[in-house]
Amino acid sequence: MLQYSFMQNAVLVSVFISILCPSIGIFLVLRRYSMIGDTLSHASLAGVTLGLLAGQNPILGAFVFTSICGALIEFLRNYFKKYTDLILTIVLSLSVGTAITIISSGKLKANADSFLFGSILTVTQFDMIMVLVLSIISVLTLIILYHQMLYIAYDEEAARVAGVRVKLINYVFSILVASAISVSIRIVGVLVLSSMIALPVATALQLGKGFRVTLIFSIVFSMVDIMTGLFVSYYLNVAPGGFTALVSVAVLVVVLVGKTVQARLRARRAA
Amino acid sequence: MNTSGFYLQIQLICVYNMNDNREKQICQVRMSCICIYFFSGQWAERVYTMITAKDLSFSYTGSPPYVLRGLNLMIKEGEYVSVVGENGCGKSTLMRLILKFLKPTSGSIATKAARVGYVPQKSDYSNAGFPITVYEALDSYRRLLKIRDKSVIEAGLQQVGMQAFAGALMGTLSGGQGQKILIARALMGAPDLLILDEPSTGVDIQSQQEIYGFLKGINQNNGITIVSVEHNLDAAVSNSTLIYHLTDGRGHLCSPKKYAQEFLGGKSGQGGVGNAAI
Repeated sequence: MLQYSFMQNAVLVSVFISILCPSIGIFLVLRRYSMIGDTLSHASLAGVTLGLLAGQNPILGAFVFTSICGALIEFLRNYFKKYTDLILTIVLSLSVGTAITIISSGKLKANADSFLFGSILTVTQFDMIMVLVLSIISVLTLIILYHQMLYIAYDEEAARVAGVRVKLINYVFSILVASAISVSIRIVGVLVLSSMIALPVATALQLGKGFRVTLIFSIVFSMVDIMTGLFVSYYLNVAPGGFTALVSVAVLVVVLVGKTVQARLRARRAA
Repeated sequence: MNTSGFYLQIQLICVYNMNDNREKQICQVRMSCICIYFFSGQWAERVYTMITAKDLSFSYTGSPPYVLRGLNLMIKEGEYVSVVGENGCGKSTLMRLILKFLKPTSGSIATKAARVGYVPQKSDYSNAGFPITVYEALDSYRRLLKIRDKSVIEAGLQQVGMQAFAGALMGTLSGGQGQKILIARALMGAPDLLILDEPSTGVDIQSQQEIYGFLKGINQNNGITIVSVEHNLDAAVSNSTLIYHLTDGRGHLCSPKKYAQEFLGGKSGQGGVGNAAI
């Protein structure tokens, strides 16, 4: 299986996805912004269609448009302070409306369907370069801004008192989310992309550890989910995105059951 | 211009119109005295004032009703000021204005502090599900403050008697323990101004005694200016050097003794909190 170049590309991209998605996702989940991941993954479809329409690389299109939508969400926060969920509906309407209009116009020279469900076969050499560049830049930015982003998520006021430029970092974070989505869109697909952002983090949170350990376990669970999804979907000949989502739910259930059993055993021992 | 500045102008006019040399001399001496008083007052005000609010008004909508209306406040360095008043009178709003989280609708508020420490209300930080250990919370904050020396974490924990809890999750701590950690965090980087928002909320009596004793100690021994929003009037009267009483968006500073006589029927509140060190 790994002798095929398309499979090698898919494995390499999956490694990047499994590092980047939970690293961004942990901040989204802890700030109760999981649905932003869902909204921006839908926005990326509009970016893909715009990229294809302009004859450009669809991942580049997804990155640019998703970044704009991420910045738009941050900007609209000033206007809808008490109804922040409404912002997601506005951005979702804009992006899905754009995508459907372009797809239904019949002016696209390429098929955008593979981006909906994810595909192993369609990862091109240029996609690989894009994914590599975006991933390296994003991971470096995350490392540099790690403590600032941790404090904005944990205690935004304390971060401000310590001199963190919260607004600026929120904009940078929007671009990081856009980057993670653009990197993942080829393999995982738009429809289940948010599961890659939130589910490994949800699983790691069950362990009840500190931030760093939770982040490391999120990456480990994400790698297990994506690699299992990728290899099994190859043999079953199904879209990798859907199967990866199923694996991530299964891993979460296993951890939840394990945690419950452990708690009962402890209670029995204590009694 | 303040009153002494006004007199200075009058004196200048008088000297200009005088014919008698002796009177002129006396008047010049008096004028010099006023000048010294005027400028030394200005200098002292600038050097020793930690927080200054001038005609400060604030409204969340930018128009009436105002939460704070034309406040004038001057807090000197080294004071321990408790801000008290009914719910919704603007205590927390005043704190947020001092911290620059909010901008005044009109007037101004400024602090001279090079570094400010902030201890939020318990409900603000309790974020109980957040996976962060005590050590991580302090270590990340140390990095935000660009303090290279890691030993400040250990020293901070030792200062509040919480060394044994370095590996514990913040969400698993009791109210008093959490508050002590937040005080240790706020004191990191040696602030000259410490702002606390209801430090005794959700904290048991024993921990309250320890916390207030500790705050009083750092105020008296280290000279840290403390401004604390208080619901605990006993603690406010027992520990503060001044009370700032807010009502209907307006406030006035008074001594704890006077406040106790006026509002607590003379009860000093000494029994409320102790001075035990943490």
